[in-house]
Amino acid sequence: MSKITRRDFLRIAGAASATGMLGYASLARATEGGKGSARVVVIGGGFGGATCAKYLRRLDPSIAVTLVEPNAKFITCPFSNLVLGGLRTMDSITQNYDALNKKHGVNVVHDTVTAIDAGAKKVTLKSGKTLSYDRLVVSPGIDFKWDAIAGYSEKAADVMPHAWKAGPQTLLLQKKLKTMKDGGVVVIAPPANPFRCPPGPYERAGMVAHYLKEHKPKSKVLILDAKDAFSKQGLFLDGWKKVYGDMVEWVPAAKGGAVTAVDVKKMLVETSLDKHKAAVVNIIPPQTAGKIAIASGLADDKGWCPVDPKTFESKLHPGVHVIGDASIAGALPKSGFAASSEAKMCAAAVVALFKGETPAENSLVNTCYSLIAPTYGISVAGVYRVTDKGITEVPGAGGVSPKDAPDSFRENEAKYAAGWYASITSDTWG
Amino acid sequence: MTLKNPLPSLLFGAACLTAIPLTVQAAEAPAAAPAAAPEAGAPPSPAAVVNMINNCYACHGTDGRSPGSIPSLTGKNAEQALLQLKEFKSGQLSATVMTRHAKGYTDAELEALANYIGSNLK
Repeated sequence: MSKITRRDFLRIAGAASATGMLGYASLARATEGGKGSARVVVIGGGFGGATCAKYLRRLDPSIAVTLVEPNAKFITCPFSNLVLGGLRTMDSITQNYDALNKKHGVNVVHDTVTAIDAGAKKVTLKSGKTLSYDRLVVSPGIDFKWDAIAGYSEKAADVMPHAWKAGPQTLLLQKKLKTMKDGGVVVIAPPANPFRCPPGPYERAGMVAHYLKEHKPKSKVLILDAKDAFSKQGLFLDGWKKVYGDMVEWVPAAKGGAVTAVDVKKMLVETSLDKHKAAVVNIIPPQTAGKIAIASGLADDKGWCPVDPKTFESKLHPGVHVIGDASIAGALPKSGFAASSEAKMCAAAVVALFKGETPAENSLVNTCYSLIAPTYGISVAGVYRVTDKGITEVPGAGGVSPKDAPDSFRENEAKYAAGWYASITSDTWG
Repeated sequence: MTLKNPLPSLLFGAACLTAIPLTVQAAEAPAAAPAAAPEAGAPPSPAAVVNMINNCYACHGTDGRSPGSIPSLTGKNAEQALLQLKEFKSGQLSATVMTRHAKGYTDAELEALANYIGSNLK
């Protein structure tokens, strides 16, 4: 192991800047055809985009990074279920871009990208401005397939919220839970794979049950699932039983769980076998990569973006990298943590490519905590590498929390879930 | 934390001894998938170590400085960090999630990570 520390390296690099960095900059120019320092535009300020912008600047402060994000503040999907459970406020899951700008020197532009011209290497913004780049990173998250369930639509989401992008939809679902009468049924309808945050709908079931147990104990949570299996299934089923008894019921697709139609006026949810009258309905529609990825031809016919697993560079448009939920990242789930890990690998690859070097070996990680109750946490972890089969999980590592763990283990994981949130949000936006 | 094993240098020495024949094996079988064999492999490049440690920061905070309930990675020397990582990997040291993570890395990678933690995370 080399004894040259990162600090030493920076010192050496700093001392050499008068000569070495000039050579490096001209190499970047030669390689990428830009002028002055290398320019990266990052689209989307979520876990993927914000992390990538920050780590690009950390790895190579000579790169000019512009982050384009429509919203001045970002409300995280992680922990939005805890808002429904009454454990968190919206303020506590709201992030901003001050540190990215002031501490890390990222040029943050609050605007929307309306077009990507991969040939001319520029993006057009809603305001009419254009931004030129040497490399583009697209981290647009997800969009919904509104027409997958009969009777559901963007407008129907005002009555039957998806709450799968945190913000007003989270508050709407919370309001509906608060105003429903005791004894009602809350339907949660998760989509088929792949979708954002595989354990999310099931954490939501527990958090809704926690709220109902405290305030409306005669009510029920009915999960009408388009799948026959789900993330951390055994742990969730055991936990619900233990904490909520029969309050939470899960109906798999094979037993008629898949929702085929809804009636927003009558508050009816229809499956192949049944019609359910509900007090509150949470439809989580099937998804695709975010709109801009689809519009600019970065997605395949299924709506997700194929990428080179070593660099996250698009297989469809060279010079454009796609990370986070929108990308097809092999065995990695569509999670905020995975987006962060992909963002760091993508940033390192972009820095190497500017230098004309081969990117170093990727190491990808995921850790997702879910709460069943305030002091009952569970987790899934995975370590991933790039093999000739793409991004694959390292066998023998990772996995879910043990099945028969003592209460203290669940309490610790609930405590670490909060620690995870504090750490990953500061690592992303701090 | 309390160090259970008072002889970290012995562990370190043993790892070095086993690393040599394993490296030879790897050279003889270049077609083997690199991810499938956590015990094999040469030490990772400095850039690959940075890729690995950057993932740790999602839970342990940027540069290992945790703002919440998850322990920071700072304030350890390389021997302490390596002992802990190896005991997570073997399961000797109990943990919620680190036992699952540590199994994803070769001994050479854990050693490189421990050196990075000892040298850089203050």
